[in-house]
Amino acid sequence: MQLVNRFSKTIVWTLAILPGLIALTHFTGTDFSTPGSLLNILGRLTGIWGLSFLLVAAILCCRVPGFDQPFGGLTKLWSLHHRLGALSFLLLLAHPVLLALAATEISLAAAVATLFSTQSSIIWGWLALLALMVFMAPTFDFFGQPEYQHWKWLHRLSGMTVLFALIHALMLNRSLPISIWALLAFLAVAAISYRWLFSRWHGQKNYRVNRIEHPANNVVELSLEPVDHLLDYAPGQFVYLTAYDSALTNGRGEDHPYTLTSAPDEPALRIAIKALGDASHAIQSIALNSKVKVEGPYGRFFPDSASAPEPEPELWIAGGIGISPFLGRLRHCAKHHTKLNAHLIYCVQDEARLLFGEELSRLMRSLPESRLHVHFFYKEGPLNREFIETHCPDFVRRKAYLCGPIPLTNTSRALLIQGGVAPKHIVTEEFNLL
Amino acid sequence: MKQTAFAAFIAFWTAIVTLLSVHSLMPDAIAADTETVYTLEQVAAHNKVDDCWMVIQGRVYDFSSYIPSHPAPPGVMTPWCGTEATEGMMTKGYGRDHSPAAWEMMASHQIGTLNDE
Repeated sequence: MQLVNRFSKTIVWTLAILPGLIALTHFTGTDFSTPGSLLNILGRLTGIWGLSFLLVAAILCCRVPGFDQPFGGLTKLWSLHHRLGALSFLLLLAHPVLLALAATEISLAAAVATLFSTQSSIIWGWLALLALMVFMAPTFDFFGQPEYQHWKWLHRLSGMTVLFALIHALMLNRSLPISIWALLAFLAVAAISYRWLFSRWHGQKNYRVNRIEHPANNVVELSLEPVDHLLDYAPGQFVYLTAYDSALTNGRGEDHPYTLTSAPDEPALRIAIKALGDASHAIQSIALNSKVKVEGPYGRFFPDSASAPEPEPELWIAGGIGISPFLGRLRHCAKHHTKLNAHLIYCVQDEARLLFGEELSRLMRSLPESRLHVHFFYKEGPLNREFIETHCPDFVRRKAYLCGPIPLTNTSRALLIQGGVAPKHIVTEEFNLL
Repeated sequence: MKQTAFAAFIAFWTAIVTLLSVHSLMPDAIAADTETVYTLEQVAAHNKVDDCWMVIQGRVYDFSSYIPSHPAPPGVMTPWCGTEATEGMMTKGYGRDHSPAAWEMMASHQIGTLNDE
């Protein structure tokens, strides 16, 4: 799997770097003769790479179920998307500045004219750059933490950026074969069309809410019955859920990611949702029998070998609603009497916030090699190495899976690495805007 | 990454504002001759690679000293020597305008204007 992962990433980076490499072959010795001409080349290359990175980042945003698997799951695919997007942002900011600096060799007026010209190609370039700044500003928290839906709405401006930047590039293109831009643009348009057309009308599956339970006062577990096709998924994967209940005060028609808590061959999907934002707060009171749409599955939290006859020993650290992927896996293993050797350290504030406590104990009892250790923050303070060592003395030889609030996963990761666990044996699937 | 992006964003606008302020504060360095008036016949006499005048948008330029440092080989510019060359400037022979920097660069080679009567 690691080989596949490395191969997919190599393809992505090659595609992103290729246009600039082709451009490099067209430069001659005289292009490097003066500081100004060298800056000019750098200015052109940052423009070319900025655009190709942006296009490849756009290609990776398509969210086709299954496409994320060779990359190690959707969150890993997104971290690649983030890296490409952030690099593109830096390159595209440097691009006009370098070109203007290069022109100062002629005169200051030439530098200003390079930036502020009425030539249409330059105007398209500025439009692309300004749209880039507007849509990237919330991603980088320029003006504070963005609200998810606002961020999402502004992120759609990225389409404008790509379009304007392509017009700008094609007007100024000298040596690069147009086909390389056409290929990247085609793939980006295909990815965006999938997202906006296919996935909206055909990619999502229809479900109906057929049972609602409240494991705690701010958590709901929805049971969803398929209207036509049942989703095929593995334990611990997640889906995008769109609720259409007309009585919802927030988040109606918006898609939000949630982890599946059901075992894959149950007749219904189960999803546990904690009230963390406006939409997840509103969904706590969703109506029975209301219509929802589900798109997925995504993610690759547990490895393929999870269902092997002699599974590797695992350490699970969950915090709060982060119990979801583990609950799904436990329900699956218990149902199929699959061997499982997992120690679950479940971190919660207090007894009232212990989710699925009874069910977890019951499931664990049916899995003789697995154990549940609940860590109460109010009694024991933050999770520490002593707690892990006491309850799971052989934690160093276990592969660790972490899911919960970011402070908890960061602390746990640090504790495990200090304790001698190799970073490559620590698995997390964090949702980040960057 | 967030800090880097924010630093780059600030650095970008700082660079742009600095460039604009320095440009507006500096006296115009190029003393282009806009007084002398030439006729197209006078310009036409300077039609060789080492004595090359051109008319571009009503202004007369002497490119004799510039031709060796032009990015394209001298053969690209010489056919325009002694002529009205606005088209050459705006198309480079393949439909692409010269860069704004190139237009600015020309100013230092201006020797007069065309008598268009």
